[in-house]
Amino acid sequence: MPLLASLAVMLCTGMVLVVWSVMGGFLSHLVNSGRSLIGDVSVEVPYTGFAHYDELQARLKALPDVEATAPVVSTQGLLVLPNGSKELVLIRGIEGESFAKVTAYRDSVWWKPITSPLRKDPKGEDPRLSEAANAFYSAVSQNGISLTVPVEGGKRDPAAVPGIEVGGFNKREKQGFYSPLYGHGWRQRQFESDRPSPTPVIMPLTGKVTLHVLPMDSSGRVLDAVSRSFPVANEFHTGVYEVDRKSVFVELGAIQSMLMMDKGLRVTTPPPAGTVVTDTKGNEAFPRPQVVGEDPARVTTVYVRAKGTSVDAEALKGRIETVVQQFTTDFPDAARGGRFYVSTWRDSNRTMISAVEKETGMVLILFSLISITAVFLVLAIFWSMVAEKTKDMGILRALGASRSGVAWVWIRYGLAIGIVGSLAGFGLAYLIVTNINDIHDWIGRTFNMYVWDPKVYYFNEIPAKLRWVDAGIVVASGVISSGLGALIPAMRAARMDPVRAIRFE
Amino acid sequence: MPLLNAQNLRKTYRLGRVDVPVLRGVGLSVEPGECVAILGASGSGKSTLLHLLGALDRPDARENRSNSQHELGPTISFDGRELAGAPARVLDHYRRFDVGFVFQFYHLLPELTVVENVTIGGMVAHGRVGYRRQRHAIESYAKELLDRVGLGHRLEHRPAELSGGERQRVAIARALINRPRLLLADEPTGNLDRVTGAKTLDLFSELHRLGQTTIIVTHDEATAARAQRVVRIQDGVLV
Repeated sequence: MPLLASLAVMLCTGMVLVVWSVMGGFLSHLVNSGRSLIGDVSVEVPYTGFAHYDELQARLKALPDVEATAPVVSTQGLLVLPNGSKELVLIRGIEGESFAKVTAYRDSVWWKPITSPLRKDPKGEDPRLSEAANAFYSAVSQNGISLTVPVEGGKRDPAAVPGIEVGGFNKREKQGFYSPLYGHGWRQRQFESDRPSPTPVIMPLTGKVTLHVLPMDSSGRVLDAVSRSFPVANEFHTGVYEVDRKSVFVELGAIQSMLMMDKGLRVTTPPPAGTVVTDTKGNEAFPRPQVVGEDPARVTTVYVRAKGTSVDAEALKGRIETVVQQFTTDFPDAARGGRFYVSTWRDSNRTMISAVEKETGMVLILFSLISITAVFLVLAIFWSMVAEKTKDMGILRALGASRSGVAWVWIRYGLAIGIVGSLAGFGLAYLIVTNINDIHDWIGRTFNMYVWDPKVYYFNEIPAKLRWVDAGIVVASGVISSGLGALIPAMRAARMDPVRAIRFE
Repeated sequence: MPLLNAQNLRKTYRLGRVDVPVLRGVGLSVEPGECVAILGASGSGKSTLLHLLGALDRPDARENRSNSQHELGPTISFDGRELAGAPARVLDHYRRFDVGFVFQFYHLLPELTVVENVTIGGMVAHGRVGYRRQRHAIESYAKELLDRVGLGHRLEHRPAELSGGERQRVAIARALINRPRLLLADEPTGNLDRVTGAKTLDLFSELHRLGQTTIIVTHDEATAARAQRVVRIQDGVLV
């Protein structure tokens, strides 16, 4: 029976700890992924963007706790893939080097040479491990970071870096790496062959995508759509499915040009069509617009990364707001009537984060309530054990044991069962949490049941994380619960009349 | 001065709606070193008297008030200390250090070995910390006692591996582990055959010879005859 009680405590504590670890890991991964995607704080004027961003960046970098900044143009656009399919995507124009200092962009570039296989790939089947293709992967890796591809004459053309899940050209293998797919219509067309090539051809080698965007003029009016083809320099993988599925990075200058956010001349409004003027030499000519100034280049966003990991994003946001306020005073027309938004990743995803936080709380409460059954189970088991040991209690009382002494024996017994059960539960939870993706994959393979679909759950893998503090709380709760479960039977044992107990058969 | 002096002991049990008087004002005095047998038939109240003397149970405060308001309350005095109305901790201390019980059915703990069944009395008496501190001494004394009762070679056996007589000898060793001044035995031979019972009584006689104050409750005339003094109990009163 004590084994049964320990087992119940083990299952309850293990269950609560696994749930807490998965939900907490999900939340932690969600918040941390923000830092790897946009840094700590972003300063944004949506759609129309703002000018003098170099000046703003210089002022932000002057803050003592700012590590780096990166200008970004964010817009929605239509992506036409090599096979002709079209997808609505978030386009972000970036400077690879500066963006990599603010985010984990350098790590997210997927096609690059790697020296050791992924955790789930013990056989080393990842194509990036190929030594023969090492030079190719090194080249496309550099292309991905610079968002350019080499062309004739030693020049480099701007290029695009789509997310690895965009278009579905890569198959995610169960070992965690991606394999470029064979036999897609787009590739067959490209090679003008009905037979698929014996070797896969990855997007960075041959892929070209076309972007369609809607620029706005300086007053915010939408102009005609602009299209431009980009070679694919590389693909990126952040592990956040939504981002990997619906985002494309493009070289900053190229997207600024497409959206007419690059540096330009400001001219007078041309006279009505057909107007003829006489120049200084007495010749008649059509009037030319007069240059009255220069429009500086604009970006929609500046991402900011704090120094180290200990800087409080909310506090940094406050300091950045002060800088932005001064900036708007010094450059009143920088945003052209648009409004600056300073936000942390948590702000940008407040709805989702708070929903996950609430879900975590709710799930924990529910599972804790379920775990209270462990208390009743221990109580029932101990009740029966006390009944079984009635005579022994009488003997102890006859030997001089006090009522409290007898009660304490049972409570200690309950606590011991709680300690054994809770520690075993912790061990069980540790094993499950550290191998949760392997377990999930095994269940999927064996029972064809995949609970964690990355299309639904945001991240590609189950982001479980066992925190020692949580484990301590759950183990302590398990021990206390067992002690509580033993309390009533212990009181019953203590109240037992020793004479009747001795006569008990 | 008597070691134990009990007067006006009454005990009534309630069975359903009926009050069943078991002891009706018993008085008993035992001198140090004396061996007293309480002889009585089954249901005469002798075991109840032993439980009261050993503070396993408390005597009724007084008889039915309407009939005998003039009667005195119960007293149990051990070495001059009053136990009848004493708080539980005093009675616990009394059972731990001053008195040792031997029961008819031995009442050994089946999960413990012979030596553990004896040392548990020391563990209860001294607490876990005190026991740890004196463990060596207690275990040595337990082995010595078991040697004396002829079980020195069966220290690690479980009660289930022992005969009835052997179990009773373990119970006697357990009762003596804290060197009690009073040994209370409730039908110590009641569950043993004649020969084994006689050997057990020899052990009590040996203890008496060494100065151990003993009260033996029995229904057997022959067992009672081995005692220094015999008191008879019938229908809840000494006769």
